Amino acid sequence: MASIRFDNVSKSYGDVVAVDQVSFEVPDNAFFCFFGPPLSGKSTILKLILGLETPDSGEIFFDGQPMHDVSPPDRNVAMVFQNLALFPHMTALENVRFPLVERKIDAATITARVAEVTEKLHMAHILHKPPAQLSGGERQRVAIARALVRDPVAYLMDDPISALDARLREETRVELRRMQQDMAKTLIYVTHDQEEAMSVSDQMLILDAGRVRQIGAPHDLYDAPNSTYVASMLGAPAMNMAGTAEAAGALTHAPDLDRGAKTVGIRPEHLRVAQKAGPGRVTAIEPLGATTILSVEAAGVTWKAALRGQPKHDIGAAVELSVDAGGLHCFDALGNTLPAA
Amino acid sequence: MQRAIPFEIFRYAVILGIVAISLVPTLWMVSMAFKPIAEWSAAGADLTWWPRNPTLDNFRFIFGQSSTDLIVALERTAGRPILASLLTATFGTLIAMTAGTAAAYGLSRFGQGGNLPLALIQLRLFPPMAVMIPVMIMWSFLGLIDNWFGLSLIYGIVTLPFAFWLMKTFFDDMPREIEDAALVEGCTRWRVFVRVTLPMMRPALASSALFVFILNWSDYLIALLLTTRDWATIPVYMASLSSSMTGQLYGAKAALGVIAAVPPIIMGIAIQKHLVRGLTFGALKE
Repeated sequence: MASIRFDNVSKSYGDVVAVDQVSFEVPDNAFFCFFGPPLSGKSTILKLILGLETPDSGEIFFDGQPMHDVSPPDRNVAMVFQNLALFPHMTALENVRFPLVERKIDAATITARVAEVTEKLHMAHILHKPPAQLSGGERQRVAIARALVRDPVAYLMDDPISALDARLREETRVELRRMQQDMAKTLIYVTHDQEEAMSVSDQMLILDAGRVRQIGAPHDLYDAPNSTYVASMLGAPAMNMAGTAEAAGALTHAPDLDRGAKTVGIRPEHLRVAQKAGPGRVTAIEPLGATTILSVEAAGVTWKAALRGQPKHDIGAAVELSVDAGGLHCFDALGNTLPAA
Repeated sequence: MQRAIPFEIFRYAVILGIVAISLVPTLWMVSMAFKPIAEWSAAGADLTWWPRNPTLDNFRFIFGQSSTDLIVALERTAGRPILASLLTATFGTLIAMTAGTAAAYGLSRFGQGGNLPLALIQLRLFPPMAVMIPVMIMWSFLGLIDNWFGLSLIYGIVTLPFAFWLMKTFFDDMPREIEDAALVEGCTRWRVFVRVTLPMMRPALASSALFVFILNWSDYLIALLLTTRDWATIPVYMASLSSSMTGQLYGAKAALGVIAAVPPIIMGIAIQKHLVRGLTFGALKE
């Protein structure tokens, strides 16, 4: 149990700035998610927390204690690596036991802890096998068990379930969330899947080229992004972005357009499509079952609208677009969100 | 993929030719080792592939037991040179592998060692003679001539670059995350090396050691210059197998050659199962 705080931490590799003056605090017992595109600095931040890398400047604190001179084993953080990093010369059981054996825990405690964790992860039947004989999902469970078996100050997971197929991934992320709440532990999670990040985390930190763009609860980031960057990172399909002039030409009803914004954004679910003569023309229809994604071209911009159910539309038909009240996000020339009117 | 039959025939002919060129001399040696003098000497006019009167006389001869067919008596038997070769090649391999592995790990993981890779490769750029004569002089000052330790030491030094380069390639290919994981899970740097890196490197260590051993085992030049009598190795001893009456004792040489081929073959078979498997098979998700 610990809070983890970064105070103006920077780290470069040669000329490449991987982490640029990053400050944030992960509260105790939080499910905290780092989210960003590849090379945005997520993995470097994890290595800095683990002590595998030393910051060029700035300081990292665990519960207020500076970690600069604390070696990785002494930081007592457990990690699930992106590529799992199992020990290939040991069986699954030996892999899971490893952290406890290396910490000179007595044999009875080790046996009890290992039994508890392996039972929770339903892996008793694979314990005698080396990683080479396990499936991708089984290896993933070994890696997670190796992290869960001890009692660290925090768990770190670097995209741990990306190797699983979609359905198993959904199950596993719910399971991880439940376990984290049961154990009341800080869990720091890295992913490039926005849906995964939003669904499990208490707080999210959005990274862009080594810089923090926004920190907050997932729904706050989704509803009130502070920039076009954050706005476009979250949500699928992505938020519609258009210049104010184009938006004015395309939308019949958009009350906030006169606030001096350079760019406006509208989430697909806030776009209304009316089947009557208007400036829009339907160019594509993607029925997904619960929702239907409609592509509408209007004023030179392709707008995506997420409609509930499977409404009937025809390709090429003229439509009228409008926005729900409060559904318009306004950004200035730099891409920052304008303060609310 | 279906290839034209003439092409397939050509392909197999080429393969057969290469195999024959590689194997026939070896088979000839084995055959000769079991022939009596009349069948391998110039006097015995017709040479055959298969010994007509197979005998172990050649083996008995080099181990000093009297042989009816051979008139010459050996001054020294093969026992001592075989011991010398085993001892020096083994210790030389140990020295090269220990120093080479340590150096390769340091350079691969921590970038320490500066120009060591180049310095080591330079050792191999000189003609061996240009290096060996000064070494001979140094070794004689140090009292290391005709001494198993002196020969082991120079074997270790000469094969160190190979051990180093081979092991460096293997260390470079080993994913860092596995060591990182061990570090995070409670190991000190030294424990990581002993508990994770070395066990994972077992196949690499085995194949590099075999390669280095064969280099040491087949050396002639160094042993010729640095040994005189007590610690002459198999190749040096083999060169001495001749007599003023019959000339080169081909039968005895062949018998010794057969014996000399045994240790590398045994080692090769012993580590074979390591050689076919990937280093980190199963450690990472694909």
